[in-house]
Amino acid sequence: MSSTQKSQKWVYVVALLLVGAGVGYLVLSGLSQNSVYFLNVSEALAMPEDKLTQARLFGSVCEQDIVRDPSALGVAFTVQDKDNADQTMRVEYRGAVPDTFKPGVEVILEGRFNAQARVFEATTLLTKCPSKYEKNEQGQMRPPGYGG
Amino acid sequence: MHAISFTALLLSLVAGVGVAAYAGVRALKNDYSTVPFLEKAQVVLTLVVVAVSVVLVQALANRDFSYAYVRDYTDTFMPLFYAVTAFWAGQNGSFLFWYLGVAVMGWCMIYSPGYSRLDDRTKVFFWLFFFLVEIFFLYALTGPSNAFMKLDPVPAEGNGLNPLLQNPGMIFHPPLLFLGYAGYTIPFCLALACRLAGDGRNWLDLSRNWNIISWVFLTAGIILGAWWAYMELGWGGYWAWDPVENASLIPWLAGTAFMHTAIVGRTRKTLLRSNVFLVSLTFLLCFFATFVVRSGMIDSLHAFGSSKMGIPLLVFMLAVLGLVLFVCLIQRADDTTHLDEFMSRPGMLFLGSWLLLCLGGIVFLGVNWPLLSAPWTASPVGLDAGFYNRVCLPLFAFLALIMSLCPWFGQKKGIHDKVGLGLTICAGLVTAVALYVLGYTQPVALLGAVSGVMIVAAVILLFVRSSAVRRFRPSWGAYGVHLGVALMVVGVAFSGPYKEEAEAVLEKGQSMTAGAYMVTFHELIHNHDNPAMNVHEARFSVTRDGQPVGNLAPQKRLYRNFDRSSFAEASLIPSLGEEIYATLLAFNEEGSVSIKISINPLVNWIWIGGTLCCLVAFLCWRKIERP
Repeated sequence: MSSTQKSQKWVYVVALLLVGAGVGYLVLSGLSQNSVYFLNVSEALAMPEDKLTQARLFGSVCEQDIVRDPSALGVAFTVQDKDNADQTMRVEYRGAVPDTFKPGVEVILEGRFNAQARVFEATTLLTKCPSKYEKNEQGQMRPPGYGG
Repeated sequence: MHAISFTALLLSLVAGVGVAAYAGVRALKNDYSTVPFLEKAQVVLTLVVVAVSVVLVQALANRDFSYAYVRDYTDTFMPLFYAVTAFWAGQNGSFLFWYLGVAVMGWCMIYSPGYSRLDDRTKVFFWLFFFLVEIFFLYALTGPSNAFMKLDPVPAEGNGLNPLLQNPGMIFHPPLLFLGYAGYTIPFCLALACRLAGDGRNWLDLSRNWNIISWVFLTAGIILGAWWAYMELGWGGYWAWDPVENASLIPWLAGTAFMHTAIVGRTRKTLLRSNVFLVSLTFLLCFFATFVVRSGMIDSLHAFGSSKMGIPLLVFMLAVLGLVLFVCLIQRADDTTHLDEFMSRPGMLFLGSWLLLCLGGIVFLGVNWPLLSAPWTASPVGLDAGFYNRVCLPLFAFLALIMSLCPWFGQKKGIHDKVGLGLTICAGLVTAVALYVLGYTQPVALLGAVSGVMIVAAVILLFVRSSAVRRFRPSWGAYGVHLGVALMVVGVAFSGPYKEEAEAVLEKGQSMTAGAYMVTFHELIHNHDNPAMNVHEARFSVTRDGQPVGNLAPQKRLYRNFDRSSFAEASLIPSLGEEIYATLLAFNEEGSVSIKISINPLVNWIWIGGTLCCLVAFLCWRKIERP
């Protein structure tokens, strides 16, 4: 390798380090500010309440006590653990309620737990995308339109 | 026919293993005369999978519910077109489709001029790798992913396909992705075969056209998916950074990086090992994408459920990775570490490829973060969409800036057209000042928009100033794709941060404001004529400063076969500037409606740019002479 080649190598190393530093900074700031707990309802119930300031909750909608805002711009309901129906949490959501929201459907909620009111205040409510792509684990097909 | 189809695939599997083992043993004895035999075997495998696919398509068309797969994804109410396209609606069918793509492309390979330039040794290695991939698919199709399961007794009715998926965007999104994934099999096998055979020079030239086709399919699939999400899901956005969306973006980023390091490799005769590794990485990431979707290890908005394909996919990926590392680590005499000056075209292509790979790495990290973070947190920690926006968008904007500057650098060093570069930078500065004055001050969006304009300026200036660029057809393709990317960058830079949204409950005759627009609700119409669904349509008119802009008629549809679940059909006033997008959230008997309006500036440029990318890329096609 000639001496110009060698000096070029250093230019590449420096460029790589600069790109790496920039990317590293972005990633670290992203990790520190955009990390959220990904929790099932049972896991969320097991967490200390003060740590539930930013969380994404996975669960399914209970049959009972769905209080819909007639304008479809909010809903209060109880979310239950996907595997353990005894584990439940009350949710209040403000915003556009998706069409696919209904009892039994799996939902993903983002928000925080309000310890005084004992409710999870959700800012986003997403129902699982209805790609009817696969059977559930038990091998039975879910009823059509179930969202799975 | 169930048993016959299944047995045909099973025999293909046995034959594939047998043929590969036989050719492998002969190759170990330095006997490479098995090429015609391998080619014939590939033709037979292709004919079998084509026949089997015809059986499945016919069963879908006839709604033969004795096939579990047909029962799961169709019903008698579906139009024929959607019933046939249910071929790739489920896991089993989509694997069959993917394998069909691989097999047919392998068959085309036999007759391609590029293939005829290979020596027998390389051909044998190529087919050994190719059969390895096919054997994996045949194992999946005859084991965990069988599309020919028989139901007894035969059900009277099928489960149907979700109405949201009955949309042209969704019908062609999966097959395009799978064709892209399938396409990368050929460059991958060719790269490994050439390196193993010690013929490191020409695989880049020979696989170039395959690479372009695969890239176009993958790009088209991703863009169509985004367009579908925008048109059909009614949330007013097009990209939610969901794991399933990200999964298809990762191989695209790796494939795009490879496309650019391949240029350096071809023109400067260097980076031999890196290119082999990158094309293999792209191929592996296609399987990783499927793994994310199928393994159920990562929670996603898409409810695919866990399937039995997770472990086989993981084993296959690790085995191929081991093979790739082994082949890449073999020393070859022509491996050079030749480096051009950093401030040169190859240097900029390097930088761009690094950024693309970094982006791929970041998205990979984000998708896997709930798993990766598990060792040091008590509860799984994931990353929200804000992470990707914060980390990826600045890098995309920087990448766009490099795209606008790169063409002005010389092949070996320095800047070959200082005037062109100067004019491009001037265009950027003028745009930056103008946008800033107009109030578009969000820094990343500003950098993105300015870079997008600079790319457009650079492409135009290049064609004006350089007759060499004008005369060379592939440069029309390459810069045409860049122009498409520039339009997309501008579209994203505006439609992301400068989108305006408003929600309201309106009585008949009431109005709401959304951005600079006034939206007035007129009437609600109920239509019960269609047997498959009831349609409820709300009619709105839109004005700006008292001038009529257009009418909106978003719908709520209640489908008969889906538990009477309702689906919103968004309505929009198309525009190359600000597109007005309306979703009907709810209505009640008294006639009041809840509506969501979003104003999406320049959003259509994303689809225009994306379409341009996919169409002009074919101009890069280069004819390969037969020897």
